[in-house]
Amino acid sequence: MRLSSNAIIGAALVLLACTAAVLAPAIAPFDPTKSSVYFLQGPSRQHLLGTDELGRDILSRVIHGARASLIIGAGAALLAVLIGAPVGLIAGYLGGRTDLIAVQVIDLFIALPGLVLALIITVMVGPSLPNLVVVLGFVMWPVVARLVRGQTLAVREHAYVEAAVAAGGSTFWILRRHVWPNIARVVAAQFAITVSFAIITSASLSFLGLGIPPPTPDWGSMVRSGFDYLAFNPAMSLAPGSAIAATVLGFYLIGSSVE
Amino acid sequence: MLTHIARRLLLAIPTLLALTALLFFSITKILGTPASMMLGEDASPKAIAELNARYGFDRPAYVQYFDWLTRAMTGDFGRSYTSQDPVGAAIAGALPVTVELALWAIFLAVLAATALNSLPNAPPALRRLVVFANLVGITTPNFILGICLILLFSVHLGWLPTTGWVPWSEGIVAHLRHIIMPVLTLSAYYFGAFSLVYRVEFSDVYRRLYIRTARAKGLSPASVAFKHALPNAILPVITFAGLSMGHLTGGAVVTETVFSMPGIGRLFVSAIAGRDFPVMLAVGMVVVVAVVAMNLVADILYTIVNPQIRLE
Repeated sequence: MRLSSNAIIGAALVLLACTAAVLAPAIAPFDPTKSSVYFLQGPSRQHLLGTDELGRDILSRVIHGARASLIIGAGAALLAVLIGAPVGLIAGYLGGRTDLIAVQVIDLFIALPGLVLALIITVMVGPSLPNLVVVLGFVMWPVVARLVRGQTLAVREHAYVEAAVAAGGSTFWILRRHVWPNIARVVAAQFAITVSFAIITSASLSFLGLGIPPPTPDWGSMVRSGFDYLAFNPAMSLAPGSAIAATVLGFYLIGSSVE
Repeated sequence: MLTHIARRLLLAIPTLLALTALLFFSITKILGTPASMMLGEDASPKAIAELNARYGFDRPAYVQYFDWLTRAMTGDFGRSYTSQDPVGAAIAGALPVTVELALWAIFLAVLAATALNSLPNAPPALRRLVVFANLVGITTPNFILGICLILLFSVHLGWLPTTGWVPWSEGIVAHLRHIIMPVLTLSAYYFGAFSLVYRVEFSDVYRRLYIRTARAKGLSPASVAFKHALPNAILPVITFAGLSMGHLTGGAVVTETVFSMPGIGRLFVSAIAGRDFPVMLAVGMVVVVAVVAMNLVADILYTIVNPQIRLE
């Protein structure tokens, strides 16, 4: 498989975010939750990106913030695939009334604004890392289901599926052995794209004040608090903002490079 | 075709009922009655019961739902818990702001996506720039884009006001100066998404015989691209734009918060912060109705334009 330059750039960005998340305690120059009296300082040699309103080192918080974003993004996308793929497979393969009902439900969910839905549910269950994973996974599954259904419909028409039916294979066996391997690649690509949109949505929730509770470093919340001091130290918003944009771009490039 | 449209209309009714019921029960059930919140943590059970009786929270949930629904249909959404103002009036004041923002954003996105991707004889560098801009539009979260625009045009260049809102009546120029950055922010994603759809359709249309005929007749490349290819390739973008209206409310929530615009989105965010159920319910209902209506319109438009469905 030849890799496109887009896929390589995407992989590099994702790798960067993963490295920051895994090695955060080792590479971050300061404790991300420790405040000091040197608050709202501009970039200096000691604090490369300056400090926030509580005197915490912004660079260290950006590095540590990768953890929450990646866990929420990957966790939500995994949940979306775990719900969406079986629904799509069954709807596309069985067709008929099952398909009709599934498509109605999927289309309804897709039409609803994901962010607004996520806002309402997050208010009800309260923002915490596990809750955000579940809420975003629940909001994102219909897109995966629609894609898997479309792919299954196409694969179902192939002669080898007909042969498997003629051989007396059970529905589960056919889906697992003949349909799934042929669509797994597309689902993997959709997984990466879902990660990118889950990160955008969770960052937007944080920006609106429904992020992981402090003091855990969280990119969206950091952009939010930096927004009030935009004229003093733009890095306070721009640094976590660029981290979000770069990570989202990375996953999107990987996902969209698969045809 | 008429039966198809009628069927879609009939399907929209149970959809709306189901969605509003879901909204109502989830918001009221899971969050509980607002009595404890309004009276504080250590309110006496008697005071809570009195308040519940006054607001009708002691009745069965389905009775409350139908009561709320019948009132809502006449425009009576109750009063806000925090400001005590009628919710209907607050919605009526905020809705035009959001609708204007949304229409401008979609219009700009469709215009930019179709025009920039139809340019005849565009140099490869420009084409690559457009593709790159699309990518940035799709992947950059709304609020980050908005903050970058504020930093550039307000803080550094000082050309535009940072935030706020001036209605049309107080001056068209001031109005436009306040709305331009929010519109750019909101339209960026759709510019990217519409471009992806449009490029595929445009290159497909461009290979058709009537395009070859138009070129053979000696028409200018611009005339072929904009008069012959663009109108034939724009249909999927229009359909997509109609279906994007629901998604767009999410973007409007964030954009209005960044730019402090008095629209539906910010009303919703402040209602969430204050656990103001009547406002949350009303905004949720407005969004749901708008989404179902826009999908219906997109579907009917598609039926009218697509002869395959029309002939059935």
